[in-house]
Amino acid sequence: MSAEKMGTVEYIQHHLTNNTLALNAEAQEAINNGQMTFWALNLDTIAISFLLGALIVLVAARLGKQLETGTPGGFQNFVESILDFVSTNVRDAFPGHNPLIAPLALTIFLWVWVMNFMDLIPVDLLPYLAQLVTGDPHFHLKVVPTTDLNTTLAMATAVFGLILYYNIKIKGVWGFIKMFLFHPFGKFLVPVNMVMTLIEEVSKPLSLALRLFGNMFAGELVFLLIALIGGTLAVGAAAFFWAPLQALLDLGWLIFHLLVITLQAFIFMVLTIVYLGMAHDEGH
Amino acid sequence: MTNTDHKNTGKQPPHKPALNFLLIGAGSMFTSMIVAGFLVGYALDEVFDTKPIFLLSCGLLGFIGGMQKIQRLLSKMDQLDPPKAKDASEKSE
Repeated sequence: MSAEKMGTVEYIQHHLTNNTLALNAEAQEAINNGQMTFWALNLDTIAISFLLGALIVLVAARLGKQLETGTPGGFQNFVESILDFVSTNVRDAFPGHNPLIAPLALTIFLWVWVMNFMDLIPVDLLPYLAQLVTGDPHFHLKVVPTTDLNTTLAMATAVFGLILYYNIKIKGVWGFIKMFLFHPFGKFLVPVNMVMTLIEEVSKPLSLALRLFGNMFAGELVFLLIALIGGTLAVGAAAFFWAPLQALLDLGWLIFHLLVITLQAFIFMVLTIVYLGMAHDEGH
Repeated sequence: MTNTDHKNTGKQPPHKPALNFLLIGAGSMFTSMIVAGFLVGYALDEVFDTKPIFLLSCGLLGFIGGMQKIQRLLSKMDQLDPPKAKDASEKSE
């Protein structure tokens, strides 16, 4: 629903609410009360992130069939430069050799980037189209999957699983336990070391997830506030002043945000490489 | 801070270039250490039914650990800086 038909608070709340499917009656009650619960699926987040993932796979598969060895076309050149960029980062930040890291880093970078890119689509466009298609004027559609904490935490948890796996694989079970017992204060403060290392390990997925979520959520909120300028203030002749201002602010924030979404995807990728690098480092 | 720098100084500190990237996340690393401290403390309190002893002590440990982690990160950066600073002074001369 566009801004002029709603109050400011309703408009923002409407845009920041997921389309949620409850899996049991208890969850349905919690959702009706505006709470979040475990047995509920954010359908829009799942659908859009899945579609964007599928888009990457499709484009990559099509490009893979049309590869040229002589003088590649513009798009192949562009993709090759991204591959080169990611592999340079992996070489710089990752000690040793693991064939999984570069594809993982590339997947994270591309997927997070396209999910972030949904932020640059006009905030009312896709929800409005969804409302037209379903005929429900209160249909919720949150189009940016990374503004949902569940997405970023899920990705960070997957990376955390890999960190634990490689920690145990490279250092061995005893080496992993030793890391908990004697790091960072030596052998005389074992209980403190255990808690400290636990905190340190938990902080890795937390910092990954919260940074991406926070940046994208704030960016989306600013887009919504800019949309409100044209929506609530542009009534009658005032529109001649407010509508161009909204367009100007939107353009400015869009250009700046293009940098933010790339930087966030980059940081997520690089920190994943660095954390996995630490897991491969036996001296750590 | 390239591989050639390592060769010139004769020392090979482990994965130097990664430090740059770690520094990008230094701020959120610090805050997430504190948050993780409170989370771990909360979980321990739930297990041992000692609210809020572990919550507070682990929060404090998270703060100390965060400070220590950032300090370690920055001091490594300091160790990397001297050759660069030397280059800059040579250029200015």
